[in-house]
Amino acid sequence: MSASAGGPAAAPGAATPLSAEVRAALIERLTAMADDELLLGHRDSEWTGHGPLLEEDIALANLAQDEIGHAALWYGLRQALDGSDPDALAFRRDPDGFRSSLLVELPRGDWAFTMLRQFLFDCYEAEALPRLARSAYAPLAEAAAKAHREELFHLRHAGLWVRRLGLGTAESRARATRALDELWAALGGLLAPLPGDALLEAEGVLPDWGAVAEATIARARRALAEASIDPGFDTEVPPASSREAVSEHRRELLGTMQSVARADPEAVAW
Amino acid sequence: MRWEVFKQDAPGRPHQAVGSVHGADAEHALLNARHVFGRRPSAVSVWVVPADRVFSRTAEELEAEAGRGDGTAAPAPAGAARRLFHVFRKASHRRSMTFADHVLDVEAADHASALAEALARASGEPALAWWVVAADDVARSDPADAPSWWEPARDKTYRQQSYYGTVAPQRAREAGR
Repeated sequence: MSASAGGPAAAPGAATPLSAEVRAALIERLTAMADDELLLGHRDSEWTGHGPLLEEDIALANLAQDEIGHAALWYGLRQALDGSDPDALAFRRDPDGFRSSLLVELPRGDWAFTMLRQFLFDCYEAEALPRLARSAYAPLAEAAAKAHREELFHLRHAGLWVRRLGLGTAESRARATRALDELWAALGGLLAPLPGDALLEAEGVLPDWGAVAEATIARARRALAEASIDPGFDTEVPPASSREAVSEHRRELLGTMQSVARADPEAVAW
Repeated sequence: MRWEVFKQDAPGRPHQAVGSVHGADAEHALLNARHVFGRRPSAVSVWVVPADRVFSRTAEELEAEAGRGDGTAAPAPAGAARRLFHVFRKASHRRSMTFADHVLDVEAADHASALAEALARASGEPALAWWVVAADDVARSDPADAPSWWEPARDKTYRQQSYYGTVAPQRAREAGR
């Protein structure tokens, strides 16, 4: 772990320039967070017109917009650090430049899969965002506080479905258990720290990321137990998959998501 | 099952009937109501009521009942327990996005007597339709949830589809070719 090197413990707020190392590590972390939100938002948006009932169709469209809005928050923070264009990052970056986790890349599956994925992601955000809201980097703290409000409602919605799926019928519980099986294996990739996180933690920019992971798992296990969804396997933090590896799902998702922007790179509105 | 949704736009404003949602139970209906009616523009509270628990009368129905002599004020059984009812009135055709506004609360033995009481108090105010719901049939959003249910909407811009104006720029571009 890199200790904060020399000098007074300056909070890297707006008034204090970030060191090059901290800046680079923060850009990596913001990119991972933004890519996760963007791709999850896109997967949610795939339900538009296909929801099991009109209200849930609208609900998923709402969630998709919220997640994409949060992606815009994180891309915006990155833009302030390196001048990158959020639209270019979203629509003209190749798959190997993305740092999304497998959890958000997996195809949307059935309703149980979509709700269980949303639930696990919302558990993570319910633990990460309030801690990020205490970041020493003020722009990150402000953005996290803003996103946290909406995420509490997301968790309420996903939690309601986890209970209904688990306590509903034999089929709904079977579908939920099957979904959890695949999702739990991908959860480690979402929760794992990035190589630069230790430096950010030492600087007070990031909270203890290991604690975020443990609290996320604990929160998810509690709710799953209340819903009588027995994963049937050990629910310790699963091993991490790399965010640098390009999955076939990421490639397929970006191929669709970026197709319009790439078809007409000069377009000013579409 | 179907639930009628009543939305309040700001503190001190009446809850207004805005439409209905499906929901397996009251909690599901409340969440769906927030998704469908509360995302934007802003709201501060929603109530949901099972649609089949709404007692409704239009002005024409009231007139016909009065003509037949079977008005809504049929006496409730003696000694019937009095309950609280919310009474909603649709006063005009002008506001097409809402139906009836919450106008008063009355204690009565049943829905029909609650409406009779409301009609007596309304004394000739314009009314196209009335809805009556028992207060204990209402599921209400929790004020403690306001920061996550309602406040984010205030920071969002509500844009009509014409804002995005993709057709006009495209035509201008084509004309310029």
